[in-house]
Amino acid sequence: MSNANPLMPQMATILDIIAETPEIKTLRVSGKDGLPFDFMPGQCAMLSVLPVGEAIFSITSSPTCRDCLEFSIKKTGKVSNSLHSLEPGQQIGIRGPYGNGFPVEEMKGKDLLFIGGGIGLAPLRSLIGYCFANRDHYGQIDIVYGARSPADMIRKSEVKETWAGQPNTKVHLTVDAEFPDWKGHVGFVPTYVTELAFTPENKVAITCGPPIMIKFVLQALDKLGFAPEQVITTLEMRMKCGVGKCGRCNLGPVYVCKDGPVFSLAELNELPGEY
Amino acid sequence: MKKMITTDNLTELWARLAEESTLYLPVQDGPMVLFQPWQEGVQVDLEAFNSAVSPKDIFLPREETYLNYRCSGQALELDAVEDDRAITAFGIHPCDLKAIEMLDRVFIEQDPPDNLYQKRRENTTVVALSCTNPDPFCFCGVFDVNPLDAPGADVMAHLVDGSLHLEARTEKGKALLEKAGDLLEDSTVDIAKREVKTADFGLNVKGLPEDLKSRFEDPVWDELYKSCLSCGVCTYVCPTCYCFDVEDYGHEAKGERFRCWDSCMFGHFTQMAGGHNPRPSRKERVRQRFMHKLQYYHEAYGEIACVGCGRCLRSCPVNLDIVQAIKALGGEKVEQR
Repeated sequence: MSNANPLMPQMATILDIIAETPEIKTLRVSGKDGLPFDFMPGQCAMLSVLPVGEAIFSITSSPTCRDCLEFSIKKTGKVSNSLHSLEPGQQIGIRGPYGNGFPVEEMKGKDLLFIGGGIGLAPLRSLIGYCFANRDHYGQIDIVYGARSPADMIRKSEVKETWAGQPNTKVHLTVDAEFPDWKGHVGFVPTYVTELAFTPENKVAITCGPPIMIKFVLQALDKLGFAPEQVITTLEMRMKCGVGKCGRCNLGPVYVCKDGPVFSLAELNELPGEY
Repeated sequence: MKKMITTDNLTELWARLAEESTLYLPVQDGPMVLFQPWQEGVQVDLEAFNSAVSPKDIFLPREETYLNYRCSGQALELDAVEDDRAITAFGIHPCDLKAIEMLDRVFIEQDPPDNLYQKRRENTTVVALSCTNPDPFCFCGVFDVNPLDAPGADVMAHLVDGSLHLEARTEKGKALLEKAGDLLEDSTVDIAKREVKTADFGLNVKGLPEDLKSRFEDPVWDELYKSCLSCGVCTYVCPTCYCFDVEDYGHEAKGERFRCWDSCMFGHFTQMAGGHNPRPSRKERVRQRFMHKLQYYHEAYGEIACVGCGRCLRSCPVNLDIVQAIKALGGEKVEQR
């Protein structure tokens, strides 16, 4: 055999399933011997449930976590619904890693501003974990995370305790509306980012969330003086192959699965906005 | 090595090739000519116009199963399905072989190689057939296609005066001719003297890909798509279209995963779970198809992804073919007055 079929999944086992919110579960998945493959933050994997199908998900664990891959998955389509119905011990198919990942080298020495909304925290969490594991390489870290309600926040204790307890790090949480048990900030993420008045000097902003949130976050960052080169986001598209051949995830000549999913705003500005 | 075989002996040649390989050739099937596996009694037509559907399916089948699965309790078993057949592709026109070479760039050269495609390509001996009687819909004159010669062929064949003249170009080609040694005679016909008139329908695509780079929002796109029915036939017949889908078929205990042709003309092609669709209407989908042929592919590989085979002109029910698109985008010769 000259090459392995790039569409052929390998076997993986679900070790554990954590219910995050009514709609989101985090699956912990391992290959035959530990990690099914090495990866970098921001990369994705195809998960298979036979005979339901295959779909692409961002890896939410940090590559520094060596015993399993984690996927925080919102019940949305056929495959995600089916993944939600599984129990620990179940074997599934996995292939990857796909995509470019975040530019961790170029980000070295910079202050980092993470802006996540809802399930959009999932890809950021991989990078956040990586940065904490390599804390000396990065400056001040600010994490803005918002959800519709306190019950819709994922990885709550990790966000509030582990992340907030890291050196030179601030966590800013917000929810869309007032809730009886919520003492924190209330308001949409883009407005909160404006209120917090982050300065762009020596900073990289990394954002992911619902398209409407991203749209207004980009406007807010622009007003705060962030240049397009300083703003990074990660896209999602329907994908079937993950290797730039099946034809559905392109923005002009660029394939989100292999050339993305991570793009700077400067790069996106040069591409057709078909996402 | 230049040889010839009389057409009387072709059936014997095909029978011999089909013993050791799956032999695809242009076969009359009802009202159409299609590339199909040879079997005794099929009506092969080497003088036919381009086949109704391109021979790309020899390498990228309309559907192919690539894994079988079994589930028992929580356990899952995955078995790869591989295609190890030796293949002979006989009677491929130069335009179609050039299109296959365009697919090679995507499926073989662009990392990671698609080994399903690559293996078939490596296991295939291509006998290309020169084309002296282009279809009235053909316009290969616009592109870098010589209907009398296919540079990538293992054997280049020419039908002249009731004989098929065969020139082996590669080791695989020589091996094929050796197998048929007793059926062949030396050829003395001077192939170079043949001529063929190709059409260009007044098109001039020079500079068009570069020009289109900044024309994603061109008003042309607001009009061009309007007649499109989203039937997808253009993508099915096109020799350079290669989009595919991956689906599962089976039940909880066992089944298979296959890939099959898909089409960027279909609404669900880019429809995401949750409902969002980056190409929500026919406008975006028609633009995607023509921009891919004329600009995106060119940007990636330096060539327009069209060989002028004429199939979309022949098949589109509303004449929204690539010639119409190129004209609408200004890719026409300036008339000399």
